[in-house]
Amino acid sequence: MHPNRSVETPGVPLVEMRNISKSFGPNRVLSSVSLTLAPGSVHALMGENGAGKSTLMKILAGVHHYDDGEIECGGQAERIQSPKHAQELGISTVFQELSLLPNLTIAENMFLGREPIALFGTLDRKRMYEETKAALEELDLKLSPGLLVSELSIAERQFVEIAHGIKARADVFILDEPTAALNAADVEVLNRQIARLKAAGKAVVYISHRMDEIFNVCDTVTVLKDGRHVASEALEGITESDLIGLMVGRDIKDLFPQRGANFEDVLLSVQDLKLQADSPPVSFQLKTGEIVGLAGLEGQGQQDIVRSLVGVFKPDSGHILVSGGARALPLPAREGIRDMQRLGLAFVPEDRKEEGLYLGLSVAHNVGISLHSQRPGLAWAKRYKQQVTDAVTSMSVKASSKDTSVGNLSGGNQQKVLLGRYLAAGMKVLVIEEPTRGVDIGAKSEIYTLLRQFADQGGAVLVLSRETIELIGMSDRIMVCHDQAIIAEMQAAEATEHAILDAALSTSSEANERAAVA
Amino acid sequence: MKAVFAHLTGQNSRQGLWILPLIAGIVGFAWLAVSTDQFATPQNAKNLLAQAMPLIIVAIGQMMVVLLGGLDLSVGAVISFTTAILALDAPAAITIPAVFIAAIAIGFINGTTVTRLNVNPIIATLAMQMIIMGLTRLMRPVAGGEVPEVVKQLVSGAVFGVPFTVFWGLLVCLLAWKMLYGSRFGLHIFAIGGGIASGQSDAAHTFGIADKRTTLLAYIGCSCFAALAGIFLAGRIVSGDPNIGPPFTLDSVTAVAIGGTQLSGGVGSLHGTIIGALVLALLSNGMNLANVSAFVQTAIKGAVLLAVVAFQSRKKIGL
Repeated sequence: MHPNRSVETPGVPLVEMRNISKSFGPNRVLSSVSLTLAPGSVHALMGENGAGKSTLMKILAGVHHYDDGEIECGGQAERIQSPKHAQELGISTVFQELSLLPNLTIAENMFLGREPIALFGTLDRKRMYEETKAALEELDLKLSPGLLVSELSIAERQFVEIAHGIKARADVFILDEPTAALNAADVEVLNRQIARLKAAGKAVVYISHRMDEIFNVCDTVTVLKDGRHVASEALEGITESDLIGLMVGRDIKDLFPQRGANFEDVLLSVQDLKLQADSPPVSFQLKTGEIVGLAGLEGQGQQDIVRSLVGVFKPDSGHILVSGGARALPLPAREGIRDMQRLGLAFVPEDRKEEGLYLGLSVAHNVGISLHSQRPGLAWAKRYKQQVTDAVTSMSVKASSKDTSVGNLSGGNQQKVLLGRYLAAGMKVLVIEEPTRGVDIGAKSEIYTLLRQFADQGGAVLVLSRETIELIGMSDRIMVCHDQAIIAEMQAAEATEHAILDAALSTSSEANERAAVA
Repeated sequence: MKAVFAHLTGQNSRQGLWILPLIAGIVGFAWLAVSTDQFATPQNAKNLLAQAMPLIIVAIGQMMVVLLGGLDLSVGAVISFTTAILALDAPAAITIPAVFIAAIAIGFINGTTVTRLNVNPIIATLAMQMIIMGLTRLMRPVAGGEVPEVVKQLVSGAVFGVPFTVFWGLLVCLLAWKMLYGSRFGLHIFAIGGGIASGQSDAAHTFGIADKRTTLLAYIGCSCFAALAGIFLAGRIVSGDPNIGPPFTLDSVTAVAIGGTQLSGGVGSLHGTIIGALVLALLSNGMNLANVSAFVQTAIKGAVLLAVVAFQSRKKIGL
């Protein structure tokens, strides 16, 4: 593929960023990156974390200033001074972290910073209300402008941000991981809104780690790697693996480590787990050295199964056997996780920021906590310096030191710290949800390798993921859930996305037969 | 209907929980009126009003700072300082402007240390409180001096039998209402406080709001409201008194908290604060009538503050 191959663009581009360079102190984060946004296009911006996507977008949004290069808006050279200036130039941003204020109404949020003023400096609330209503109606949203943002769902908040851009007559919309917190139905609505913006001749920049979304929504893609421009292409005619290849500079097969070979002793055994009183019983086993994936459509019970094993979810009944220790389900909510850890089963939740890590504490503390928690509450805290250092080194966590607070690390490194916590504590079974959520491709590969190493050293992993390719690549065996039961089981080496989806939808008789056999 | 009810309980409301203190106030009022003969007398009504008015004024200023997630512990010192300045041997045409110049300077320093030097508001204003109290005691170690006749007249006069106090109260409330609800300044206060309370302290800034300047102005406003309360008190006691101000510091915070304003910022209301101040004044008045010792009164007020703040946890109320 030829770098910098230009894309056919109808008319004058809305925004043209040319040869943008930017350094933070000694770190050069962008070197000579170019981006052209044509009217009526949805432009995917891709690259690993740290590739410079966010920086580039923050420059466009006026949050950062660039060192070198030029920006043209509608054919006019501009130097974007501030977020406000960017808004005036018609650039609207929906950042990953939502920036609406929860205690203001939709209308107040829409006009914040440039409120209309009536007599005696009083806010012109009537005008705010009416113009907001019009902007919301343009998006077919039936929300009252007087609602507080805190009353809205996350999806609705994002739509309000888009409406905010429309209201400001923005031409360029930057959507930074807009679907990270949306469910499938809301993603559908969002896609409609994006199509609407496209039809109206706006340009949309779309940042996401989810491949299926990119191919569904976007028409053009620009790939960045290590702050450099790799390619700008029309998405037509590019395959998913081409794109990954561009991002990592290697083939997708190389992402995953070698599968396991000999599985011997049973480490984890779950018997007759019933999520609800009337749901079918679920039984399965994990052997040493094995990585087992749980697949299925959203909300088919796979997450509840996983969470039942550690007492976070309360199933109706069942039994669990972990390396010799038997427990009856449901586990007590308070003691469940600690009890399971004592038996050697660790749980890595999906939302590592909310449920897993102490973001304000250092890497060392986050790793050491599992070691400390194995000892009595009033015992002198040991320093565990060696164990922590070993864990951090073996995980190859990229942090300036062990004392860096975890909140400052990238998603991939945070996940490694969380894994390191349990590996340092000598766990046998790892139950992990979405191991690579919000993690870039390079770090994904490292995490797959770490999990495989863990299995090879006599552990077992139960993994839940929404990314089917990931499940096929990293697991040895895949179990497919449907309607609170495991309906099919297959060897990952022979599994295809199509077969898994078939089973998950439970449409083919083949899947049912397989379930009968299993 | 359900939505209205939820709103009144303070859930998803920017105004916080103000209905409960209102009910408590009405019940307390009714109970005192029935159970005590001295309560429902014109003299006691006057006392109650005189007690409540300075508290309402200070509390309104305090509320502006609290809405920004801050706290101003120097208001009591500003009140004492104001009475000390007014009790100087000088004409009112000099001392009254001097009072406001001092208040603006104090508010400016408070606001600057908080916004530019990133000092915790509690520490910044506590230090300021010590500085101002020191100066006040230097000027007037014990109560004494004479306040100009004009100030006395402005506070204790009456037209058609209605005391001036009522007009001053209405004027201050109107001014505060205009600032909080009828201007960009007020909306920006809520915006900045909402951002801070929800853990994204520069959210308002990204909307193009001058957050530091607005915060600075709120601290200046708070000091000026305290100075106003100081003038009011000086007119009543007709002298300068270093000990008159300090109780108002915590009383104002308590009144704000009772009125449903959240100490983490972004949620609260003017009417809630007025209700809170009235309820607190009613409590003091009732305890006075019941001959509760002043020390016990202080303890009870502390307990009320603790209970009110603990009750209005963020998860249940507001955002």
